[in-house]
This record gives sequence, C-alpha cells and structure tokens, in this order.
Amino acid sequence: MAAAAAATAAAKGNGGGGGRAGAGDASGTRKKKGPGPLATAYLVIYNVVMTAGWLVIAVGLVRAYLAKGSYHSLYYSIEKPLKFFQTGALLEILHCAIGIVPSSVVLTSFQVMSRVFLIWAVTHSVKEVQSEDSVLLFVIAWTITEIIRYSFYTFSLLNHLPYLIKWARYTLFIVLYPMGVSGELLTIYAALPFVRQAGLYSISLPNKYNFSFDYYAFLILIMISYIPIFPQLYFHMIHQRRKILSHTEEHKKFE
Amino acid sequence: MSLLIPEKISLSSASSSPGRCPFPTAEYPEVEILDAKTREKLCFLDKVEPHATIAEIKNLFTKTHPQWYPARQSLRLDPKGKSLKDEDVLQKLPVGTTATLYFRDLGAQISWVTVFLTEYAGPLFIYLLFYFRVPFIYGHKYDFTSSRHTVVHLACICHSFHYVKRLLETLFVHRFSHGTMPLRNIFKNCTYYWGFAAWMAYYINHPLYTPPTYGAQQVKLALAIFVICQLGNFSIHMALRDLRPAGSKTRKIPYPTKNPFTWLFLLVSCPNYTYEVGSWIGFAIMTQCLPVALFSLVGFTQMTIWAKGKHRSYLKEFRDYPPLRMPIIPFLL
Repeated sequence: MAAAAAATAAAKGNGGGGGRAGAGDASGTRKKKGPGPLATAYLVIYNVVMTAGWLVIAVGLVRAYLAKGSYHSLYYSIEKPLKFFQTGALLEILHCAIGIVPSSVVLTSFQVMSRVFLIWAVTHSVKEVQSEDSVLLFVIAWTITEIIRYSFYTFSLLNHLPYLIKWARYTLFIVLYPMGVSGELLTIYAALPFVRQAGLYSISLPNKYNFSFDYYAFLILIMISYIPIFPQLYFHMIHQRRKILSHTEEHKKFE
Repeated sequence: MSLLIPEKISLSSASSSPGRCPFPTAEYPEVEILDAKTREKLCFLDKVEPHATIAEIKNLFTKTHPQWYPARQSLRLDPKGKSLKDEDVLQKLPVGTTATLYFRDLGAQISWVTVFLTEYAGPLFIYLLFYFRVPFIYGHKYDFTSSRHTVVHLACICHSFHYVKRLLETLFVHRFSHGTMPLRNIFKNCTYYWGFAAWMAYYINHPLYTPPTYGAQQVKLALAIFVICQLGNFSIHMALRDLRPAGSKTRKIPYPTKNPFTWLFLLVSCPNYTYEVGSWIGFAIMTQCLPVALFSLVGFTQMTIWAKGKHRSYLKEFRDYPPLRMPIIPFLL
C-alpha cells in the first residue's frame, strides 16, 4: 500500500517532485500556476537526486545478486541507500506544505509515512525479517516505481516528458502495486511473532500515564487497513490511466 | 406596466431539462437557474418579485426539483463564486433583467441541533458504560465493580457534567447561524467524540488505573481549573447568545460584560474555545491520563483553526475590531 499510495499520489499530479506536469496531466481544471524559477530549479535537482538514489539501489541489488548467486538476503546490500533515500522523501511533505508542489499535504504525508513506517518501524526494528524474501519483493517494486516516478517529475518540470516515461508510470503499476503490497503485507506478517515475543514498542498497564499500546495489535490493524485502502488506490490508478493515456492518444492524432 | 407576451415561454427552454415552472408570463425580472458544473438549464422563473429573497427563489426551485430542498441548494452568481445568502434580495444583486444563478447541490443535509445532540449524548452514555464496568469491557471478575479511587468518581462527575452542559446549551442557549450541515458530518463527528470518549473512559475506569502522582493536591488544583473553565465557557456562551436576538442571524463584535469571565474578550476573539481547552487540560491533570491529554491536543488544534477563521472574519467585517485581541490564546495564538 505504501507502493500503491505513492503511485496514486503521483498519478494525481502530486507527490514529491512534481511541478506542473504539462501535457497529459489530466486532473481536470486546475490553475496553471506552477512554482517559480528558483523553486523549479530546486525541484529539478531534488528529483534528479532521487532518481539517481533509487538507481543506486537498483544497481546495488543487481550487483549483490550477481555476487551472491542468489536473491536471498539482498536487503543488507542496499540497506543504507534505501533508508537514506526513502526517508529523504519526507521532504516531499514540506514541498506540498510550502506550496511549490500542488498536492495535498495530507495525501502526501500518508504516502510517505507509510513507506517510512515499513522501512523503520518494521524492517529496521525487527531484525529477524530482514532476511525474508518478502522484503526483496517490496524493495524491487518500490525501486522501479520510484525511478519512473522521479524521472517523470524531472521531465515534467523541464516540460519535456517522453511518452515512454508517462506510459511506464501509468502502466507498470498494474504489476508493481500488487507486488509491493504483497511484499509489505508478508513482511509485516513475518514480523508479528517477534514483536509479540519482545513486546516491541508496547506498554501495558499499570503505569503512571494510564495508557497502553499493543504494537502487535496495531500491526494487525495496519494489515487489515490494506483491505479497504488498496483497491481504492488501485482502481483510481486504473481510472487515471484510461484518462491520461487515451487523452494523449487523441492529442497525437491532431499533431 | 403592460402585460406583454414575451418571446420566451414560461417552460424551461432546455429540451432535456424536466423543469416546468408553472408561472404565467409577465414583465417581471426573470431568473434562470443553471447547474454550476454542467451549465445545464435547470429552471426558468419568469415572474419573480423584484424584492424576492434568495430564500424565496430556493423555495420556487424546490417546487420543480423536489429532491433539492432549500437547505441543500447553493445558489451563486458565478459558478465558482461564493454562495448567496438566503436574506439577499434579488433586486439588490448585480444582475440584469434576467438573473442567471448557478446551482450546486450541497448534498443531503442534517440539522445542526440533531448533530450536536447525537455527538454529545454518545460520550455521556459511553463513559458511564465504562464507569459502571459493564460486562465484556474489563475481565469478568470486575463486572459492575467500583473503583476505590476518589478521583475516578470525581472524573465521572466532571465528564458527565461537561456533556450534560453541552446538551442543555444546544437545546436552550446556542443560536445557530446555519440550520444544517452535510449529512456525512454526523458520522465523522460522532466517530471523533464517541471514539475518544470510549478511549479515555477505558483507562480512567480501568481496574489497574494509577491515581495522579501528586495525589489530592493535584486533583484539587485540576478540579479548580476545570470548574473555572466550565463557568467561563458557559459565561461566554451566554454572552454570545445575548448578542443575537432570537431568530436572527446578525453578527456583532462581542465585548466584555459585567461577568468577570467575559473579560477574556479583551484579549481573545473566541474565549469559549480558550475555556474549553482549559477545561480539558484540567481534566487531563486530574486524571493524569495520556489519552485525555491527546484528546485535549486534538481538540485544541481544531479549535485553533476555527478561532483563526472566526478572528479573520471579524477583522474582515468590522473595521473597528479591537487590535489587541488574538484568536484563542492571549498574546500568542
């Protein structure tokens, strides 16, 4: 769902690096204001850096696979850049808040925080799941999605968006979403017994703040929340795809 | 004024539109109502009194589209503009002989009073379920037992008093500007109030509840804060009520009265919110319960947003608005 939310937010012309997306950003009637020249320059740099960062992760995965000869436990090879670049995406919330990116702060926060949650509160915190294959599943999904998303924004900001990138962003999600969601859910599920055992991030009564929190139950609630949220995001993307890709087809006819 | 037969017929001119306005033709201002999004002609009124109000036009519109009762109609001069008020008079608006109004459906509406009563009755009742330790909440050995801590009983009295006060104020004190709000608000609001009430009540009335660290001293201080703020909040509600005659929607600058609690108006636009936050801070100190503190924080955030909005509209409407006043916290916020 972190994967799904990211791509959806992206599809709404939204998400961290997006400035005016130019042609094909069919989000209905919107003021063509866009960020100023300084903000645009900053956003281009931001999106280029993020594209590069996720490319580093992609290359890291491939090299590790070739070196090890298997696809197990590749997380350790890309742990640091993954943490760095995914956490860096928190800046995107700031971009929305200060208005240089025309997206909803709430939606972007939700999207970024869910990613950051998976990385830090699940994968990092529960060491035992780091060797799970499910981690590779969502890392690959996120990596491909983010490389495409950030390059989409870069090109949009420069008003030169290759159709291939637009196509990729609005088509690959069909496979990457379910893949990412599966990886995320399996990872959370794998973490459960260890959370229960260690009482991780949990506090029980009695205590002087008269408060209790059961992280195990919380994780289960998170997993359940995927059920209503994922289909909504997924079908929204499908809808956007029809709108945007057919819109461009018509435009091309008249050129 | 001669009665001419105009070229326009009195039936709606859009062939697809089903609106049929049963008014005879005459030389009166005409009103056409278009859908703000699709620009479809929804209704054509061609005998409208010049001094008709928007409220009256809404009633006429309902006759042809009964599913859109007046409370859910938003009529405006510009499709993206602000809604016209019910009291606005047609003649005084910047329209020609044919007024074009744009219609937006506000969705199903529910009365403010209904929403308030429902959202406040919930916490009152729910808290008591936990206080009396009704079965299936805590372990079976605790069913219908009573806490041995005085503060727990005191907290129940305070919480219940607070919501009884709110219910009574809704019925007898408040004078609402709007009759209705969107229906979905009742679900949103009730989830918030009822959810937090259950969450707080669960811990305060829990068999393993830990009383405040500084004992009776802490409870006494917190109770004092709570009581003062409740009195303050009530005083402000009464003062605001007296600003507005029954049945009217007038707005005036509120000023301090003889009641010392209202002197907070000197420093703040919305002292009712100030006192409300104060009450909940008092309750949080009294119970030393983190969920209560969180509820206070969320409430404070929402009330600050409302206070800032109210403050801004006061400033816009009144040139002579006292400059010392802040929205919710004296000198700060």
